[in-house]
Amino acid sequence: MASEVYSVLIGGKAGEGVKKAAHLIAHIAMACGKHVFQEDDYQSLIKGGHNFSIVSISDEILYNSYKYPDLIISFDDRSIRTHSAKLKPGGLHFCNGDDAASAEATALRLPLSSLMKSVYGEEGNVSLAAVSVFCAQWGIPVETLGRLIDREYRRNQAENRSFAEQVYQLTKEILPHTPATHQMSTSPAKLYSGNQLIASGAWTAGLDLYFSYPMTPASSILHYLALKRDSHKVYAIHVESELAAANMAIGALFAGKKAAVGSSGGGFALMQEAFSLAGMVEAPLLCFLSSRPGPATGVSTYTAQEDLFFALNQGHGEFPRIVASPDSFERAFTLSAELLDLAWEAQTPAILLTEKHLSESAADIVLSDVDFPQEAPLPISDESDYKRYAITDSGISPLKFPGHAHSGDDDVIKWNSHEHGENGVRIDNAPAMIAMKDKRNRKAASIRQATRRYKRVAHYGKGDTLVFAYGSTALELREALKYHSFKLIVPIYLEPFPSEELAEYRGKEAIIVEHSSHPHFAEFLRIKLDIRSKADILRYDGRTWDSMELAKLIREAENA
Amino acid sequence: MRSLNTGKENTWCVGCGNFGIMAAMKKAVSAMVESGVSLSDIAITCGIGCHGKMFDYLSISGIYGLHGRALATAQGVKLANPELKLISFGGDGDSLGEGLEHTMFAAKRNIDVTLILHNNGNYGLTTGQASPLSYTGYKGLSTPMGNVEAPFNPVTLMMEAGASFIARTYSAKIDHLSSLIQQAVFHKGFSFIEVLQPCVSYNNTYELYNSRCVMMDEVPATDEVARVLAKDTDQIRLGIFKQVIGTEYCEAMGIQDNPMSRSQRLKLISGS
Repeated sequence: MASEVYSVLIGGKAGEGVKKAAHLIAHIAMACGKHVFQEDDYQSLIKGGHNFSIVSISDEILYNSYKYPDLIISFDDRSIRTHSAKLKPGGLHFCNGDDAASAEATALRLPLSSLMKSVYGEEGNVSLAAVSVFCAQWGIPVETLGRLIDREYRRNQAENRSFAEQVYQLTKEILPHTPATHQMSTSPAKLYSGNQLIASGAWTAGLDLYFSYPMTPASSILHYLALKRDSHKVYAIHVESELAAANMAIGALFAGKKAAVGSSGGGFALMQEAFSLAGMVEAPLLCFLSSRPGPATGVSTYTAQEDLFFALNQGHGEFPRIVASPDSFERAFTLSAELLDLAWEAQTPAILLTEKHLSESAADIVLSDVDFPQEAPLPISDESDYKRYAITDSGISPLKFPGHAHSGDDDVIKWNSHEHGENGVRIDNAPAMIAMKDKRNRKAASIRQATRRYKRVAHYGKGDTLVFAYGSTALELREALKYHSFKLIVPIYLEPFPSEELAEYRGKEAIIVEHSSHPHFAEFLRIKLDIRSKADILRYDGRTWDSMELAKLIREAENA
Repeated sequence: MRSLNTGKENTWCVGCGNFGIMAAMKKAVSAMVESGVSLSDIAITCGIGCHGKMFDYLSISGIYGLHGRALATAQGVKLANPELKLISFGGDGDSLGEGLEHTMFAAKRNIDVTLILHNNGNYGLTTGQASPLSYTGYKGLSTPMGNVEAPFNPVTLMMEAGASFIARTYSAKIDHLSSLIQQAVFHKGFSFIEVLQPCVSYNNTYELYNSRCVMMDEVPATDEVARVLAKDTDQIRLGIFKQVIGTEYCEAMGIQDNPMSRSQRLKLISGS
């Protein structure tokens, strides 16, 4: 049975700082020695609409947020209407009493609009109210609240403090019970989003340049790396299009620098030709593909797993590639590094496939506790009479880079998008075509061998029921394991697929859980392992499951 | 200096303007090497079309990229190693059709890369269809009734986009082109050379260029004057239209190598 989980939901309009309040609440809970999971549900707009964030808090590690909160803080009537029914029995709902037409009698009213008017004179910072309510209810001293707010909100500091302290006092006055008490301590954990970990993992493994065009839910990789330019000497460049991003990255790889690109499905559709170029010129292109519901523009700010086969089949023509998907926050950090290493070792593109749920949700992580992959050796040539595409048994041709620091005046390093001979000059004669295609194809075996040093499949829980999932769906299922026993099998590497490691499941019956309207992953498992689907649990509304409900769905599927 | 020929069989049409461009390129590279530039510090990129074949003929490191993307590829190389001298070749379809965005943005960034535009006024390799630089009325396989669009003017387009070095010459003027290539490469910032290039198979402009090309004595004093001269079709001006010093992109971004080892990086990122 799971230990107690306390969840806070903050709801309001875009632009009101819902996410920021949730972020602070998560930090406060972490400072009290708790584990947290933050999930943001927002729309693709800047002002108005309805956004909400959930922070779940527990003594135990959390893999998902809980959708039924113990504490709701509604900044407006729409939030009251949307979330009231989800409040747990015995939970508290604080709302803006000045915009609470729909509030039930039991809702606790705080005059937030009038209070802001009196303090700020004009538009105030309502997000502070959520932090203040949480602190009052959670037993955090008002002085601590003041210090936090000073640190996190730089504008209107005197007004912020005044507003926060008044909300804090009002909350204490109307609290139906004495507040909890929590001691703050120092914790080595930090709150990381999946995207921050993907970016950090690649950087730690040596990333020099990141080329991208913004597209949710991948954009925060670009934002995070752009902020690190001066401190980490990494150059995140917002270019004119995804086509520019991918082709520039290939240029940077030619010059010997570690480069990556990232986008969502739409951006990857635009990068197809360049992805194929990476296969042809044998460029170690690292790609981050963070999925949202499609097709086309789809639903920008929600989660989905519709792009499994799209990721596996990026680019036209035949060439080896690597595709893997992280099943946890820590794995996002290490897998990003593994894929960078593998791409370079095999000189072929690699895709880290993830979803909005992992990309943009956040949890407390201690990075120094994570076992980071060792650097893989690079096949660098120091020979004269260099041939970029030398035919080898492994299919891997040694690298050399332009520039007097790396090569001599007699070295000619030619990367060619046409089929080419060993020297990189275009060819079209039949035997040379076959020889070069065979060379590239031989890399597949080398890649399979190289992936064996990494964790390719994760297993969680135990029981007679087999459940398969990949990516962030594994997070939802790991939390569900706290409520129901089953054996969860999560392939991390999808291409090359570790069939030999999963041989014991060949032909078995399993429940397959995924975020798509067609059972793509089930189809994939049938092709790869002849897994027979006992039930496909599909969700395609862009939202994530509450793990207690997911546990129930698995129980039902077992009994069906 | 070693030979700049790969020995690959040349398949340009007899009389193709590309021969002049390649001769000028070899001359420019030889001169640069003589002046102390290391051959390993020169890299080329090209797109797809007749111009791109130069990649296979020239024994110089680089990337034979995708159609339209030569300049994006070149910018990536430059960002990864700002010490390299990048020369990118593009046809009119490449640089002003499929890849127009990269041409505009390279100029906007003022990144230290040279683009040589092979302007033959049509799509030669795909059998003479109209290009973004074909004149109104041009008849090709895709415009059998005549091109109804007006062509871009590459010089004024680049001026608007922010290129800091803009020049035009004619492929028959090998010494002039060779000199312009050297000046463009040593120019700190984005440099653009439009080369008027006759296509003997589909758009033979030798007579036109021989009769109308006029060499300018000096760089026009203002952009306004340069624009008027660049648009004159009676007297086709050759020479440098613009040459100014601006902030270069790699410098503005402060690009530096990061020699940190993996363990040092791990320490910094994990805050331990």
